[in-house]
Amino acid sequence: MENKIVSKYTLSFGLSLAICSVVNALLVIAKEKSPALQTAMNKMTGHHWITHSAVIIVLFLALGFLLAQGKGDQGDSAAVNRLIKFITAGILLSGALIIGFYLIAD
Amino acid sequence: MNEILLMAHVFFGVTCILASVWVFVDALNAGANPASAGRIKIISLAAAAAMWLAFVMGGYWYVVFYAADKAVILKGPWPFAHSYFMETKEHLVVMLLLLATYLPIAASNNLAGNPAARRLVLWVAAMIPLLGLMIEGHGAVIAMGVKVGLLAQPH
Repeated sequence: MENKIVSKYTLSFGLSLAICSVVNALLVIAKEKSPALQTAMNKMTGHHWITHSAVIIVLFLALGFLLAQGKGDQGDSAAVNRLIKFITAGILLSGALIIGFYLIAD
Repeated sequence: MNEILLMAHVFFGVTCILASVWVFVDALNAGANPASAGRIKIISLAAAAAMWLAFVMGGYWYVVFYAADKAVILKGPWPFAHSYFMETKEHLVVMLLLLATYLPIAASNNLAGNPAARRLVLWVAAMIPLLGLMIEGHGAVIAMGVKVGLLAQPH
């Protein structure tokens, strides 16, 4: 029998990883296209990259714990397979957005 | 001192890559070798710790010392070493940090008895060296951009 095989935090932080990867790429594009946003991010911590990293790390932790509140105790095999696809898609999409932006758009 | 910091940044990045490869190989055989579960948890934690050290050291160096190198690169024959390679590296590395942080969470499940849990660890552990090696390559191009920039300066 193969059900209830991973913890709720495995599912929630996996979802958070995929979402935050895409948000990371979108934030790159937003701050590069909006000098006002980049200036604001510079002012917040002294460097836009520190602000950028802090936002993504805090979002990753917050989403990981928040999404765990809505889950059951554990995930089954189908949920894990969906999670793998979601994480892979998030990483590939984010990588393509960042690389594509600096190769083509910037 | 800043050169030591930069070398330590690379060292811990490579350590994270090697630890992730270890986790991948160990997870491949975790079904047949339940005793490896404890080792996988420890090495995945080491991968995350190494990545955080690489990230903090590299980030500190980038914020405090990189401006001088950036000026040399942009005036030299390889301006793309900054405009493409450093710009992508500094943002791709955030994804790598999240992946490495997630690895011990994925490895905390019962890997010996659950093929799906093993698959998750295998996928995450595989993505880290792929992305990590790409980022290491970016770092090499950035270092070469500084070198050719300095060589191009009049003596």
